[in-house]
Amino acid sequence: MINTTDTNTRPSSGILTMMGLNRRQRTIITTAVIGILLLSIILGGLLLSNERITTNLEARNQAPSFSHPFGTDWLGRDMLTRTIKGLTLSIFVGLIAAAISTIIALVLGIAAATMGNRVDTIVTWLVDLFMSIPHLVALILIAVALGGGMRGVVIGVALTHWPSLTRVVRGEVLQLRSTEYVQISRRMGKSRWWIAAQHIVPHLIPQMLVGLVLLFSHAILHEASITFLGFGLSPHQPAIGIILSESMRYLSVGMWWLAFFPGLSLLIIVRLFDILGDNLRKLMDPYNAHS
Amino acid sequence: MSQKGDDFVKMFKRIGTFVLVLAVFATLLTGCAKEDSHSNADGDSVREELILAIGSEPDDGFDPTTGWGRYGSPLFQSTLLKRDNDLNIVNDLAKGYELSEDGLVWTVSLREDVKFSDGVALTAEDVVYTYEAAAASGSVIDLNVLDRVEAKDEYTVSFTLKQPQSTFVNILAVTGIVPKHAHGADYAEKPIGSGPFKFVQWDKGQQLIVETNPEYYGDKPFFKKITFLFMSEDLAFAAAKTGSVDIASIPHSFGTQAVTGMRLEAIESVDNRGIMFPFVPAGEKTASGAAIGNDVTSDPAIRKAINIAVDRKALVKGVLEGFGTPAYTVSDGLPWWNPDTVIADGRAEEAKEILTEAGWIDTNNDGILEKNGLKAEFVLVYPSSDQTRQSLAIATADMIKPLGINIIAEGKSWDEIANMMYSNAVLFGWGSHDPLEMYNLYHSKTAGEGYYNTGYYANPTVDSYMDQALAATTEEEANAYWQNAQWDGETGFSSLGDAPWSWLVNLKHLYLVNEKLEIGSQKIQPHGHGWPITDSIVEWRWKE
Repeated sequence: MINTTDTNTRPSSGILTMMGLNRRQRTIITTAVIGILLLSIILGGLLLSNERITTNLEARNQAPSFSHPFGTDWLGRDMLTRTIKGLTLSIFVGLIAAAISTIIALVLGIAAATMGNRVDTIVTWLVDLFMSIPHLVALILIAVALGGGMRGVVIGVALTHWPSLTRVVRGEVLQLRSTEYVQISRRMGKSRWWIAAQHIVPHLIPQMLVGLVLLFSHAILHEASITFLGFGLSPHQPAIGIILSESMRYLSVGMWWLAFFPGLSLLIIVRLFDILGDNLRKLMDPYNAHS
Repeated sequence: MSQKGDDFVKMFKRIGTFVLVLAVFATLLTGCAKEDSHSNADGDSVREELILAIGSEPDDGFDPTTGWGRYGSPLFQSTLLKRDNDLNIVNDLAKGYELSEDGLVWTVSLREDVKFSDGVALTAEDVVYTYEAAAASGSVIDLNVLDRVEAKDEYTVSFTLKQPQSTFVNILAVTGIVPKHAHGADYAEKPIGSGPFKFVQWDKGQQLIVETNPEYYGDKPFFKKITFLFMSEDLAFAAAKTGSVDIASIPHSFGTQAVTGMRLEAIESVDNRGIMFPFVPAGEKTASGAAIGNDVTSDPAIRKAINIAVDRKALVKGVLEGFGTPAYTVSDGLPWWNPDTVIADGRAEEAKEILTEAGWIDTNNDGILEKNGLKAEFVLVYPSSDQTRQSLAIATADMIKPLGINIIAEGKSWDEIANMMYSNAVLFGWGSHDPLEMYNLYHSKTAGEGYYNTGYYANPTVDSYMDQALAATTEEEANAYWQNAQWDGETGFSSLGDAPWSWLVNLKHLYLVNEKLEIGSQKIQPHGHGWPITDSIVEWRWKE
């Protein structure tokens, strides 16, 4: 689930290399740029007024133009505004879901690594179980069982995205427990809490952060997918999945812009989060950080 | 009322239909080729088969005693009476009927030459059996008023009612007669009847195949075999584009597209959409614990202001692409409709005056009016699966906003709506060839009964007009009372009177029809897109 991207294939890296920056500096700059971009979308979604998405029946079904770069829908609402608002909602839902998922992963991972064999077996079995079910199927089942809506989606996404990160956390903790300094601390009579706080948590935070960001893109994509399929957010919410599923009805009438721009925007956002996560990992990973 | 959809099942159905469409295309491609060579060989090019994609499949099968045939022709069965193209009641199985002076006993004499498709004669016994079975099934057919039904002799049936009900004639016109000897557990899946067509095959979720019934007593249909495909409207549109269906029912958003080889038929309907306002103030609860009433919409000024401010023509043009008509009541254009209820709308200034007079003033300059600390704000729910209703809800909310009334449009599932509909405005759709629907929607007796009168509307004058309409012994007399119930010059349930609803539009039902296919004249269609077109199926033929 974690995509490794070679830094050199990134489009921006060419220019940045020419500017004589080393790989670490380049990564920091791309990360910052992406961060600002994502932040501005969120701010845009929050600050844009609703004026442009009130119905304007005179201006309905307009192809992309200068005043409506993404066109308008069948009620004359500006698609650019709807898309940005939709993305913001998706990012928001993704953030909550990914955060919950990360916490679940952290708790289960640590539990598996520290609470003995039986717990370890159960957690590993759970991880295997969840990884063997396709994400989307589990997600639909959970969301439907919870009655759909915002709550269904958030819990559904949260409950399906923890397994791989749990594995990483469990491995990390197991490895840390066998390191010499942890063994020494234990021999010196430090309490379990002290060891956890001083030695283990600092190593886990970077893993968590990276995991969170990488989960994020999945969460957004899956939120949009199940909303698109009709099991997610309600149609009066300005979610990107809603926009896409609504547009399906109009594709055969030739209104391609209803699906194209929102879809493309979603793709770009997800890809940006992916790159962001990869970069964070590179910056924090001791083996990569100084190259 | 639209059916509650189980989204999950729907998705699988959709996938199923998609596969089916592919299969149909494939067989048609090969089939057409074969047919061409065949017609070249013996010069007979007249196709006597039709393929229709006109709507969703009836979930409960084809048993009239559980509701089949309420919309459109029952195909397999025939009814005692029927409505002609001008909506007059005419005989079908009946030779005639009489109503006793007290309005209680309906006596129907039957044709003596009618046989079911299995060759057995249809007699009064079958009619009695059908109505008894329908009454016992407790289904959508409301036979509460029926006290008993008896066979007077082999071809005469009498229905005795508990109290007079002039609309009973409509039940006689929509209930197909089933054979007593062959009405078993699997009847709904393998119907036998005396209608123009006989059942051949039903593949659930896919198709229904019917053939002409050789025993049919009326005019023989021109087409020997008809296949009904059950597919979504988008797929039906795609199928129409490739020319693989002869009639496709399509949503209005596709209506602007020209399709070669097909013509567009936009058929008038009373398939209406409107906003139901809770009529009483909040406070009470239903037996199941749902809240009743709404403090904002219970103010007549709010309801009247919305009624005259909304621009219905703009909704028809903008949301329905022009395929509709403005709606003023639940029964526009039907014999029991009162034409005085047509109002001039789009009058925002007057609406504002009404609101100001009633004490709604924007005291805190947030663009929303207040009265005694109450904000002019309410939720309007619509079924989230229905895009037309969604568009109407959003467009109306935006239209009303400049008045200072904040309508919050929310999409919900039917299950959620069933819980919210007593205390929130709902975007409902109705429209029937039976005036009893008016009674159900507006009579104080039906308050809180299912989807009827969910706003708890009550007006004693309206109640008494409608009671009189039911008690009337002729349709003319009844219609006069129905019209008074809408508006008698002083009060009524239309927007001139109490305005418990704001009707918005009547949809036109759109069908893409094979250019060469003649489908006869169509009566104003009721609620329920698709099947109503089959009403005239016996008249269909190829154009010369």
